[in-house]
Amino acid sequence: MISPSSSSASSSRKKKMKRAETKWRTAAQERIYRRRLLEALRATASRAGPRAVKEAADSALALTARGQSQWSRAILLGRCRPRRKLLLKAGGKVRRGRRRPRPAAPVPVAAAAPAGKKVRDRLRVLGRLVPGCRQLSAPSLLEEAADYVAALEMQVKAMRALADALSAASLNAAAAGEAESRVV
Amino acid sequence: MGSAGSYGVGTGNSGAYMTEIAEPVRFEDEIRSLIQARFDAPPVSGGSFTALLGLSANQAVGLLHEPGAGEVSASAAASSPTGLGHPLGWSPTFPSNAGLAERAGSFPVFAAVDSPASSSDGGPSPPLKAEPSDSDSSPPLPVPIDKPRRRPAKRKDCEKQKAKGPAKKMKTAEEHTEGDQLPYVHVRARRGQATDSHSLAERITGTALVLDEIINHVQSLQRQVEFLSMRLAAVNPTIDFGGLDSFLMAECGPLAASNGRGEVALDPVSWSSDPAPGTGLRTDLRPSQQSSTAWVYPYALINHGTSLFGYGAANSVPLNSNQSKTDL
Repeated sequence: MISPSSSSASSSRKKKMKRAETKWRTAAQERIYRRRLLEALRATASRAGPRAVKEAADSALALTARGQSQWSRAILLGRCRPRRKLLLKAGGKVRRGRRRPRPAAPVPVAAAAPAGKKVRDRLRVLGRLVPGCRQLSAPSLLEEAADYVAALEMQVKAMRALADALSAASLNAAAAGEAESRVV
Repeated sequence: MGSAGSYGVGTGNSGAYMTEIAEPVRFEDEIRSLIQARFDAPPVSGGSFTALLGLSANQAVGLLHEPGAGEVSASAAASSPTGLGHPLGWSPTFPSNAGLAERAGSFPVFAAVDSPASSSDGGPSPPLKAEPSDSDSSPPLPVPIDKPRRRPAKRKDCEKQKAKGPAKKMKTAEEHTEGDQLPYVHVRARRGQATDSHSLAERITGTALVLDEIINHVQSLQRQVEFLSMRLAAVNPTIDFGGLDSFLMAECGPLAASNGRGEVALDPVSWSSDPAPGTGLRTDLRPSQQSSTAWVYPYALINHGTSLFGYGAANSVPLNSNQSKTDL
């Protein structure tokens, strides 16, 4: 998805950028994500382990993104193979970055020669950090990074609230149980 | 639980969290105020690098590109080959310098590396940001060129300190106000500094610093997610899904108020009374998640009795997967 360098494309991307910024801030999105997160957690109660929890949380986040961003598609495809064709229709190539780490260095075509090796290195590192964005061009990568950061912030907020609420609830339950047993 | 928790793990205290993200939040606030003017958009609450990236995704790349991307500025396209292509030997022709300086001005992080970090208003920034979109005209010239005036003095400090993003943005506004009042005579001197080899090189490392910040932010967020998932994994066995009203209803204060009282009152009742059918309830809600007002419908259904709750997990799962597919 190499974006053409035209003013119309840039303006549309700016609009998309605005939407990416604000869409993760809405309380509605938070609620949607929180419910999905709860569901995912209930599903993973059998498989105990922080990794399962993290994967569930990330999948819930990618689901909330509704497959509109590259990283969300990459996360979802990383979990489920059968949905690959369906998600490809949503638009965008997806690479199995996690299963097969590419030995070749990425060549972001549109960011051909940012004047500075540091910049190129950092862009590459950023591409590795954001899931599914290793071979993206610089503008798309920055866009994905913006969306990803916004989503991550919401995820951290929700998970923190959930952990606090759950620990408080479990403490209450434990205290209540103790009090009851002592009374009896 | 208190292991490796540099991000307030085990404290359960949002206060600790706020302090540790205080700096990026300040960062975001200042960027946001500048971006507001640019996009004429309602303020983005709690924006991170998104605001920064929103401005720079095209302009940063335009700056990075050697062949001028036409979106950045019309003049840049004509002059870019001589501009960035020869960092060591800048051509003495004025158009290239002007174009380069204009493009530099279009990326505020570069152009305003230094200036006293004070609060900026929307006033100075819109003309500042609007200028790069103008074609080669004289008004933009003093503004981007004005910034390099102070650049050599303070650039060293800015290079050493990484978290200078907000300061840079602030200085953009500051210097602009001065640029308006200064006479044209000074333009020539500053122009030389704008396309000086050192200024070019340091402008480029500005991008590297910003990218570094972004990378650090993403890494810290990912680490926080990992720690929080560890916490949740520890809490999971003792989960009591009945008492999650506060969690689910958090951040919903204003929305709930707009939707009416019924919603707020219903939710605690539904969640606490029936934890098991809660799954069915949630999947029922998802199809109608078009807008916040749509919440009223599923909550209204609760009142009609437990017939909906009779769906059970078997029905809710395929409903969920179908919905997810259509969503995507």
